[in-house]
Amino acid sequence: MSAMPLEPLPPRFQEVLDQARSLGLDFFELRFEVVPEEIMAELAAYGLPTRAQHWSYGQVYNRNRLFGRMGLSRIYEIVLNNDPAHAFLLETNRPVENLLVVAHVAAHADFFKNNALFQETNRHMVAEAAAHAQRIDRYREEVGEERVEHVMDIAMALEQHIDFPRGVHRRRYEEERGRRPAASRPPRDPDEERLAELFPEEEAPPERETAPPPLPPHPERDLLWFLANYAPLTDWERDILEIQREESYYFYPQFATKILNEGWATYWHARILGEAGWLTPEETLEYARLHAAVVQPGSRLQINPYYLGYRILRDVEEQSGPERLWQLRREEDDVSLIQNFLTPELADEMELFTYGPRSRFAPSGREPELEVKSRDIDQVREFLCRPRYNYGVPLVAVSEVRHGQLYLEQLDRHVSGLDLEYAKKTLEYIGELWRGPVRLVTADSEGRELELVWEGQEEPRRRGRSG
Amino acid sequence: MTAELPWELRRRGIRDARRHDQRVREAIRKNLRHLVTEEAIISSDGQRVVRVPVRYLDRYRFRYGFPQSHQGVGQGEGQPGERLGGREGGGGPGEAGDAPGELTFETEMTVEELARLMLEDMALPWLEPRGRVSRSPELRFDEVRRVGSLANVDKRRTLHENVKRRAARGEPRPGDFVEEDLRYRSWREEPRPRFQAAAYLLLDRSASMTLDKKYVAKAFFFWMVQFLRSRYDRVEIVFIAHDAEARVVDERTFFAIGSAGGTLCSTAYRAALEHIRRHHPAVEWNNYVFHFSDGDNFPEDNAAAVEAVRELLAESRMVGYGEIVEAAGPSFYGYGREEGERGSRAEPPHGLERPKSLFGRALARLGDPRFVAVAVHRRQDVYGALRAFLLADREG
Repeated sequence: MSAMPLEPLPPRFQEVLDQARSLGLDFFELRFEVVPEEIMAELAAYGLPTRAQHWSYGQVYNRNRLFGRMGLSRIYEIVLNNDPAHAFLLETNRPVENLLVVAHVAAHADFFKNNALFQETNRHMVAEAAAHAQRIDRYREEVGEERVEHVMDIAMALEQHIDFPRGVHRRRYEEERGRRPAASRPPRDPDEERLAELFPEEEAPPERETAPPPLPPHPERDLLWFLANYAPLTDWERDILEIQREESYYFYPQFATKILNEGWATYWHARILGEAGWLTPEETLEYARLHAAVVQPGSRLQINPYYLGYRILRDVEEQSGPERLWQLRREEDDVSLIQNFLTPELADEMELFTYGPRSRFAPSGREPELEVKSRDIDQVREFLCRPRYNYGVPLVAVSEVRHGQLYLEQLDRHVSGLDLEYAKKTLEYIGELWRGPVRLVTADSEGRELELVWEGQEEPRRRGRSG
Repeated sequence: MTAELPWELRRRGIRDARRHDQRVREAIRKNLRHLVTEEAIISSDGQRVVRVPVRYLDRYRFRYGFPQSHQGVGQGEGQPGERLGGREGGGGPGEAGDAPGELTFETEMTVEELARLMLEDMALPWLEPRGRVSRSPELRFDEVRRVGSLANVDKRRTLHENVKRRAARGEPRPGDFVEEDLRYRSWREEPRPRFQAAAYLLLDRSASMTLDKKYVAKAFFFWMVQFLRSRYDRVEIVFIAHDAEARVVDERTFFAIGSAGGTLCSTAYRAALEHIRRHHPAVEWNNYVFHFSDGDNFPEDNAAAVEAVRELLAESRMVGYGEIVEAAGPSFYGYGREEGERGSRAEPPHGLERPKSLFGRALARLGDPRFVAVAVHRRQDVYGALRAFLLADREG
């Protein structure tokens, strides 16, 4: 089975791309390929066509195939953030569907190239991921399938725990220290620390080197980076962690701009295809049906991100003119878009509300009954944003290393403690890499502080802590 | 990197999907001791599809204990405080998108499938070809021939031949059949050795058998019946319930039985003996006897019971005795150390112990390798008991 690159590009595709460029869209060269449904399901499962193998992708792939067969969701297009940008079209797409998709992916590719969050992403990730996969295949041959799979399981369990603002390329603390004067009091909280970087205080008096500096010097959220650099790992184990981390950094901007990026692409396919003269009357009708399906609002409890992004951008265009949109596309992500551009008027018009369980104490294992909580704009914004910070995972940081023990802490335990069964297993994973005792402070369902301890033999114990 | 991406991708998804399925099976197998006593499975009628929770194949990571999917932003009418009912499937608002979302995993399988998976490496021990000399050949329609009787015409193949022949003449439509189009199904006679087997399931229903203990026993018998029916098409199963007296009962009664009365285990063994001698003589039948009790036997009956078991051993391939010690509820969580912790050499495999009751110890003095006795403490020991009995001839 080989790919079917579309060369030369069908004339109408070329016209759409020319039109996109003349309207100001600026994108890497686009390479189109037409693929069958199961390849589409794979691309969606792996995120990259060249990624290393792992059973978890197989799980998602199975689900995608199933949904495809049940007609629940069809994936019309996928475009990769890469230079050149690879775009895939489903072979069963009808001509009008393809025109819409071409306009849509051109806007995605423009977004990848120009949005601030993407500036540090690896533009050759397709080739890079292939190199990663080759290295992992070699490890499989050298140390065996089982061990490699297990370390990949661990790396995947931690893959969302990166610290995106610090960037993918970091130096070890001891190298950092040579470059910056140490703060007099190490701030406890990374947010505080970032503030301190933005607004430096008085020059701190140079410290006398007495005790060795604490490890880590600040609560470290980039768990993959910390373990890769400070846990006693073999080379191949470290490499697997670094590979996973690199790919996690690559995907983060896409996670953090889902609403804005889909809104942007939808705005542009509507603008390009909506112009007179492009489509025959029959095609116009079909296009209108397609576009309506893309921007359908979603269900009562789940808002379609395409719709939300599109509505916000159209609203901004109405209030401030189309020029303002270029600035949004360059500077915002989903959180800032919602906080700054979802107006109370628009939220009212869209009838947005927050919801939650009727009572905090739902019978376990059963879905709790839900109720409308609030229509307050700040609440709505907060609830929309919450799952969009930091891959939507709890903030777990390495707080210190003492006597060979690794201390972890869930920084946002006031929101909710961790799922303990999952936390125990994940802690065990970390302990395996640390090859020594690990502890984790979290909170129980009542909000009481609690420490999980893994000492290297059996599963972690829980211990209440006197706060 | 050229425009053509390497398309070994397709094999990748299928291969990883296969690896995933394999992991599901491993996870199920690892947790059979917990699944074995899931009420949902046992109370199914054997035909129904059961949902097997594969909680052990989750992709572990740090996640909030208070599921974030229970809160979010919705749209439409409604005042604060108004009920919304439950969530209609799907993940939370933050779980859509590029990151693989929550995959809670429940796999559906028929009880039969589960039984196959559970018991695939087990077999009736010491099974020998026994049965009447008159072989019952098995008829298998698995050949297609050009000659045969019209009753056995294979319509599909005949049509196929007809179209093939006419297409060669440029008319790819069925029509005017001729002799040479006809295809017949045919069969081969396969004489197969007969493995006639009968299983005797003996349940102590005395007053000391609490609900929990009976649950354990019935879980064992449920799987035993599943196993016998799925593996041996001609196995005959005899159900015997006893307190101070024993009765042969039908399957429904057996599984619905309550508790009352004292305990004389010898009565059940005698009832089994009598039935064997009348219906399943040992020259023609592989007989298996499995008895579950809490060992709370009337002490004066022990000698008689031991004697009855001795006679049973002469008439059957094996006698299994399961003693239910203290039926606790299911354990709180099911990961951590799993199978494979063996006791000392004196202990039976599968992490089980020998029965400790006076009655159990009296039976153990028989010293016959075809008498297998295990103690069952908890629900999840049922699987170990099944293995101990069904692998008895392979593991000492």
